[in-house]
Amino acid sequence: MSGLHNLLAHEVVEGIKEGLFTAEEYVSTVIKTIEDVESKLNSFITLDTERALSSAKLIDRKIKENEDIGYLGGVAVGIKDNISTKDIRTTCASKMLEDYVPSYDATVIRNLKQNGAIILGKLNLDEFGMGSTTEYSRYHPTHNPWNLDYVPGGSSGGCGAAVAAGECTVSLGSDTGGSIRCPASFCSVVGLKPTYGRVSRYGLISYANSLEQIGPICRSVKDIVLIMNIISGKDNSDNTSMSSSPITINNKLDKFDIAIVKELINGGDHEVTGTVYSASDKFKEIGCTCDEISIKNLHYALPSYYTLASAEASSNLARYDNIRYGFHLPIEEYKWDTYFSNVRKNFGEEVKRRILIGSYVLSSGYYSKYYLKARSLRSLLKLELLKLFKKYDLLIGPTMPILPFKFGEKIDDPIKMYLVDINTVIANLAGIPAISLPVGFSNGLPIGLQLMAAPFEEQKLIDVSYALENTINIQRRPSLT
Amino acid sequence: MISKDELEYLAQISKINLSEDEAKKFPEQLDKTIEYIDILEELASDDSNVLDLQEMKFDELRDDVVRMSGALRITKNLTEDGFLRGPKMK
Repeated sequence: MSGLHNLLAHEVVEGIKEGLFTAEEYVSTVIKTIEDVESKLNSFITLDTERALSSAKLIDRKIKENEDIGYLGGVAVGIKDNISTKDIRTTCASKMLEDYVPSYDATVIRNLKQNGAIILGKLNLDEFGMGSTTEYSRYHPTHNPWNLDYVPGGSSGGCGAAVAAGECTVSLGSDTGGSIRCPASFCSVVGLKPTYGRVSRYGLISYANSLEQIGPICRSVKDIVLIMNIISGKDNSDNTSMSSSPITINNKLDKFDIAIVKELINGGDHEVTGTVYSASDKFKEIGCTCDEISIKNLHYALPSYYTLASAEASSNLARYDNIRYGFHLPIEEYKWDTYFSNVRKNFGEEVKRRILIGSYVLSSGYYSKYYLKARSLRSLLKLELLKLFKKYDLLIGPTMPILPFKFGEKIDDPIKMYLVDINTVIANLAGIPAISLPVGFSNGLPIGLQLMAAPFEEQKLIDVSYALENTINIQRRPSLT
Repeated sequence: MISKDELEYLAQISKINLSEDEAKKFPEQLDKTIEYIDILEELASDDSNVLDLQEMKFDELRDDVVRMSGALRITKNLTEDGFLRGPKMK
């Protein structure tokens, strides 16, 4: 059966349950799609197709025997390669972990499997999630399915590209400073960074614990809701996780008060700005109000983010000593310190830069100059945002200030690369939920709208995104033939 | 500008050997980043406005249940008798 790889997750589950097709037929079609396009995209680091087919057969057997197949029964999922998957290699796109096979599943993976999801493989990223293009992957860059000469965004670039191209139906990414929303915007798919604490981080390989969350990247808002309700919740293995109410799809939209953030619009590509303004006009059509406002402390958000993220990275990545996990390098010729310094050469340049910056901002004399001030800004920003959320339901702006760009354009200048994240880091600093929704194209390149809400107000993001998705009806399928 | 000595010190406390190429290009790149975050100096610097970002309860402890970690499968540096091997201290 052809075309099954184009189905949305809820359509797959319904189709299998109603006997329109088998899980095996559907998964085979998705695998065929991978075989057809993967050489162009390079979305995956590791594929696990044989086990995926066996799992599909198991789902079909359950259907025959009238057993429950779960809310995601048969759905083919791709997982960012920094989320631990039992018995499937998990590399973080790093050579430091090229042989690492986790002995346990992350909580989100356990939840997916318990609900019948089928793991197809592990998706590419910038090494340890540090980057915005996948060019910092130590394996290969992923290509944007809308134009192969362009980056897919990052760090969850493999997720964005694979979902857009039908190499998997949904995916899980992680977002430390925009890593779900950036590729969602660049690949014309939907990506949600949940409120900090809504989803367990147990099994997510740490980069900057106080900032990062696991979240879904899908082809529709409805699928985002489906996945979120499966992965959310309090988990005893993650003390920062909290219980929350399920979210739903509402066909009737409340009248919401929305504000465009001037600082997110100013300085962006004019094609992006224009498309975001047109989308905001649609809000009025669907009965919402739309003002323009300013966030005073936004100017300091990106430098604060890079200070905190690098500090946390330098501490988190200190664990890679290659003794407990890593790649194979015999210890015989080395002494304790020289062995570590030597194996840690294996980190890529961007990871090394961030570790060094992290060590710098945490070192004596600079700690209060940088780290404490960054923490202080984080609090000020959160207070300012919470005040704004008393007046407005949602704050909006472009997800990315620029259109997707070509490979190599920014890789030699770290600051140029960091500036790409300027609109997305706010949500991570403040711990608030944010979604990127496709709203248009310019010269064939996708543009995403970012909506942010108060902590645990994902329902508002979903309500407005769903209404807007139905109003705009954006193209979701790139042509790769 | 980060000096050669400063870079060596940062590399040493970070336990990373830098290649010749990295030692050559990192000072300028790190300088640009530090210059960029220098803007934080403009902020008032007291710690009093640092909030706990999450209102989390840490007084509810989970049960201390022993679970198998599966540690025997996580590395190739294990010897046959199940010990981890590390390099010599001296």
